[in-house]
Amino acid sequence: MTTQPQTASAAASSRTAEEKIQYLKELYADAPELSKKALENVLEELKSQVAETPPPPIESAGRAGSRLGKVSELTLIIPLAPGGAKRLRSLLQMLGGNLNGANKVGTVHDMRFVFLDNDTKLLFATAYDGDWDAYIDDFATKIPDYLDVLNAGFEGWPGIRSPEAKDYLAKYQVTAEGWFVANDLTVAETRRLERNGKAMDEFLDKISE
Amino acid sequence: MANQTQTATAPESDAAAQKIQQLRELFADASDVGKAALENVIKELSSQVSAPPPPIESAGRVGARLGKRSELTIIVPLVPGGAKRLRTFLQSLGGNLSPGASKVGTLHDMRFVFFDNDTRLLFATSFDGDWDVYIDDFIALIPDYLDLMDSAWEGWPGIRNPGAKDYLVKHQITAEGWFVANPELSLAEIDRLKRVGAAADEFLDKIQ
Repeated sequence: MTTQPQTASAAASSRTAEEKIQYLKELYADAPELSKKALENVLEELKSQVAETPPPPIESAGRAGSRLGKVSELTLIIPLAPGGAKRLRSLLQMLGGNLNGANKVGTVHDMRFVFLDNDTKLLFATAYDGDWDAYIDDFATKIPDYLDVLNAGFEGWPGIRSPEAKDYLAKYQVTAEGWFVANDLTVAETRRLERNGKAMDEFLDKISE
Repeated sequence: MANQTQTATAPESDAAAQKIQQLRELFADASDVGKAALENVIKELSSQVSAPPPPIESAGRVGARLGKRSELTIIVPLVPGGAKRLRTFLQSLGGNLSPGASKVGTLHDMRFVFFDNDTRLLFATSFDGDWDVYIDDFIALIPDYLDLMDSAWEGWPGIRNPGAKDYLVKHQITAEGWFVANPELSLAEIDRLKRVGAAADEFLDKIQ
């Protein structure tokens, strides 16, 4: 392993890394002292990351959004119609804030509703499996009415059955420029693992009786 | 028996009717799309609000939690030039934050999103457990990565500053709706399940 950096391609990629590091230093030249110091502290580690083992870059989740491995992000920031925040908040409160109806979609890892800017906007952010189009299609086929009930407060929402629904969503989606997912399994795979784990525990209990 | 059934179910259906009424009132001034959708799900929805799932709880100082999983949603104003610097830094990592983030063993997912013409940043994560412990983990495990990224944030005092937590709290907005597919599985448990799964597969292979 230690001799590998001497190969031509490794030398080339480490030159590129040097350049990248140089660029980072320049980038932080006008940053506050605090972060210049922070950069110095992690520079060695960063060097090896950008040189030897650069992580795979984030990819596109399709029409909008970022993806890492199997898991994508969707981030919508949507203007709310007058009275929309009050109605949506009341509905969420009636459900205890727990949106477990989303289980029906089957590919949603997590999902949040956050009111912004004095209730004039809503942040809707999810982590989900796979491709944007398939995901929106899942919502449209599995819980169309719940979606329309929740989105009723969105300014100009055409309804999930409208041919313009996807354009509307894409218009208000902002793609993340940094993304991280720890668990590289889909929701279905994680559930299967959970069931297998339980079965294994039972099995081990039985044979140790 | 017949009487018993009547007395047992009558208050229930009264309560259900009341919930339906409440929902209809709530949507009286909604769009037609919203009203039509409500009618399609009103029975199911009213039974859900009559016996709602366990409510979301607090993740501690701020944020919502379901089971073991919490959410953190921070929106901060960016300093002039901050968006450009942070974006370029993110691009140098291919947008993949795993080098630093995977060191925090309780972090499920994390995103950085620029909006309002690069004047604001959304930082949103999903993590195991309590707010204070989580922030302490960041401080202990990746303080410099945090300061590198947060230097774009207006007024960020530095993670080693005693005012750091107050700054975060000030800019965090608690979600009012939250959902997690596997709320009872922490990352450590998922890792353990992966190992158990691999061991079980190996075992089954051997006895075949």
